[in-house]
Amino acid sequence: MRSLSYVERVSLDFTGTLFPHAICLGDADNDSLNELVVGDTSGKLYIYKNDDPRPWITRSCLGMLTCVGVGDVCNKGKNFVVAVGAEGWFHAFDISAAVAKADSSSQQEGVAWDEQKPSFTQHIPANTKVILISDIDGDGRSELVVGYTDRVVRAFRWEEPSDAADQSCGQLVLLKKWLLEGQVDSLSVNPGSEGLPELMVSQPGCGYAILLCSWTQAGDAEPDEDTPACTGGESLSRDVQLHLTTGRIHNKNVSTHLIGSISRGSKDDSNKCGLFALCTLDGTLKLMDSSEQLLWSVQVDHQLFALQKLDVTGDGREEVVACAWDGQTYIIDHNRMVVRFQFDENVNAFCAGQYACKEGKNSPCLVYVSFNHKIYVYWRVELERMEPTNLQRVLEQCPEYKALLHKLGIDANDTRAVRKLIGDLLYGDTQSRTD
Amino acid sequence: MLPDAKEPCPFVEDSFSRFPSQSNIYGLCQAGEQELLAATLKGKVVCFKYQDLQQKIRPVAKEVQFTYIPVDAEIVSIDSFIKSPPNRGLVVGITFIKDSGDKATPFLNIYCDYEPGSEFNLESIAQSCLNLELQFTPFQLYHTEAQCGDDCSETVFLLSGHDQRIHLYKENASLHQFEEQPVERLFPELHTLPSNVLWLDVLSIPGSRRLSAFGCQNGCVGLAQVDQRGPEILQSWRIQHDSPVSTVLLFPLFHQPEQRADQEMTNDSKSQQIKGYNLLVTSTIEIAVVYSDVEQCGLSRVLCLSESDQCDAVLCALAVDIDFDGQKEVLLGTYGQDLLCYKFQPIRGTEGEFQLLWRRSFKSPLLSIIYLDLTGDGLRELAILTLKGLHILQHSLTSTANLVIKRLASRVAALPAVSQVQPITEQDSEENPASAKEKTSLGT
Repeated sequence: MRSLSYVERVSLDFTGTLFPHAICLGDADNDSLNELVVGDTSGKLYIYKNDDPRPWITRSCLGMLTCVGVGDVCNKGKNFVVAVGAEGWFHAFDISAAVAKADSSSQQEGVAWDEQKPSFTQHIPANTKVILISDIDGDGRSELVVGYTDRVVRAFRWEEPSDAADQSCGQLVLLKKWLLEGQVDSLSVNPGSEGLPELMVSQPGCGYAILLCSWTQAGDAEPDEDTPACTGGESLSRDVQLHLTTGRIHNKNVSTHLIGSISRGSKDDSNKCGLFALCTLDGTLKLMDSSEQLLWSVQVDHQLFALQKLDVTGDGREEVVACAWDGQTYIIDHNRMVVRFQFDENVNAFCAGQYACKEGKNSPCLVYVSFNHKIYVYWRVELERMEPTNLQRVLEQCPEYKALLHKLGIDANDTRAVRKLIGDLLYGDTQSRTD
Repeated sequence: MLPDAKEPCPFVEDSFSRFPSQSNIYGLCQAGEQELLAATLKGKVVCFKYQDLQQKIRPVAKEVQFTYIPVDAEIVSIDSFIKSPPNRGLVVGITFIKDSGDKATPFLNIYCDYEPGSEFNLESIAQSCLNLELQFTPFQLYHTEAQCGDDCSETVFLLSGHDQRIHLYKENASLHQFEEQPVERLFPELHTLPSNVLWLDVLSIPGSRRLSAFGCQNGCVGLAQVDQRGPEILQSWRIQHDSPVSTVLLFPLFHQPEQRADQEMTNDSKSQQIKGYNLLVTSTIEIAVVYSDVEQCGLSRVLCLSESDQCDAVLCALAVDIDFDGQKEVLLGTYGQDLLCYKFQPIRGTEGEFQLLWRRSFKSPLLSIIYLDLTGDGLRELAILTLKGLHILQHSLTSTANLVIKRLASRVAALPAVSQVQPITEQDSEENPASAKEKTSLGT
């Protein structure tokens, strides 16, 4: 297995403790560059920008933050930072507006309490665990999906009167509640076989469930919070499609993570089936497509607790990134080529994605939260290619290479002669000292 | 505090192999054409190579069980060479200290297989051992070719020790084993030494001469020009540095001759350049320096490698052509976890200077560097031994492939139009002027 050591990293100060889902990368201030958003157990929300070790923006929230997210949750064409606490307090922050205001007043010290406040707060059912801001029903608008510690998943939509001038008029409206058999560790959206988004949640034992958005069939019924859309066993079985994957699963209760919509790269447009990956705490990793076809399965000796996707080669195809508690990180491409990286500390939380750490542009980054009050961002993780190769194989991709060799009277398959030729071309007459 | 670099590092890491225990500055050597041997402190030797499997190559680091290395041994140094023709075979030397509690005993083990067919098979070489007990604590194990008798040269081991001497081990062909011989017979310049030698380097130069350099624990650097046919010391120099010398390295560079530059402008640029031999000296506290043109000027012309003292002690050095322009660059590996690359910039009217081209950080201190072709494609890789393991850095293949295509095209264009197909051997003989011309136009 190929192993690498990344070196270029930035360490950020973070003194709190956090839940594994209380960290994400996203464009918080709508400047097209991504920031790092972290929420801690005392309700503080930190936003880090570029390589500054101190938080760029700090906000206070109610309760213990269990999950944070960045997305266009209000469907206004701009991103909000969302923080949800265990007690059920939902906060949305309009960071770009706050930044604009602070700039115009140009008085950083005297930022009023007003601007520190969330632009919107609402109480939703408590015991939140994980959130997802994405379009789950294919209507082009974002929904907020919340996973709970009591095996429940709820979907909300931002609704506001069309003539509303102020945000305070809008609120989150419950669309649907699903009850699952096992713990939900991740929420994700994956294109189904028709290309429409499907809401997927992970289930213990390397399983997953597809949650159907029944409101799309039943017309735009808009249930409010007092009368949840689905109750009772019948609708439960109809709206939750449980899938268990086969393979070496020792413990059917083992914690499982999932990530969907893994990009196949540009040219594979014909195949609408989305790719998704699963990982378990006992070290199973799988890549599947939405027609339930297994692309590969990898077994490792480390306890995988976080699963992300990241295009490290820059070819448009996203690799699967899985991190273990002890810092061992696996980057696996669609052809099952594995690259390992050992982060030298135990990991409190992990995420991977695009982050504008250096040089004012987004680059693929690996983010580790350690137990020593530091967050480490590895900002140079790009690879030219996943698999080790040599110059001759790269040259064989060049169209004119074989013709040139032929003109020199060298057979491209004669590895020794080609090796000698390349050595001559590159190093010429260097009197190689053989040591 | 850290030096600024002009360019990004042109290498990308291809693999990293973590070692079970740390190594030291004498712990890495090339074994054969495409393999590396790395010795770790706790008596383990790892063989690293790229395996070709089903049209794919993959890095493999495998432990080699060298026989007669006890479990409580701590390896000091390792070296390996291929015997000079007409003999065949790979020789591996390992020095270690066996600490059995009351008294630490140093040993030199030399591994070499005489069985026809298995002279290059590392597994069987590791099983045939010559065990020599040493009377001194070993340091660097080095090998070089020595002329013994008429037109016959042989590769020998040179081992420096804490007894202020360098010991020579030479194969006794009739007995099929290595034995210690007096060093002054073949290397008179290494006979009386001022201190313990930490690093030794020998370079053969035209006219069957050689340059030998050594750096000592007390900061003394010695250099000698020797006629190999005697052997006879033609000239020798000594200079005192202020701190232990970590490496000395002899390497050639092309200089523009200063005086005659105006007279011979009409000639080809290549013929105008003259080759000078240079000595790089790195020490643990001071800045690294290059003594230029040592063959003519001895140790009188000094060039400093600016800011090379900013990254802690320099532990290893290498002079290789990594930008494919025919001129060698100097690489320094430091305890401060940095790899520094310096390039010689000739400046008209002066002796020129070494400028920091780029630097790259690592996760642990750098101990040793080798530049060799591990992947078997003609392009060499940089193998860097650090305290934690072995890093393999590969040139960016996409840009190197573009360069190869360009040079191939210009070589094809330079072909005489009549002869379409030429045997490879002729190509090689006419290689030098062709690539030299193109150096000026295509240098990266």
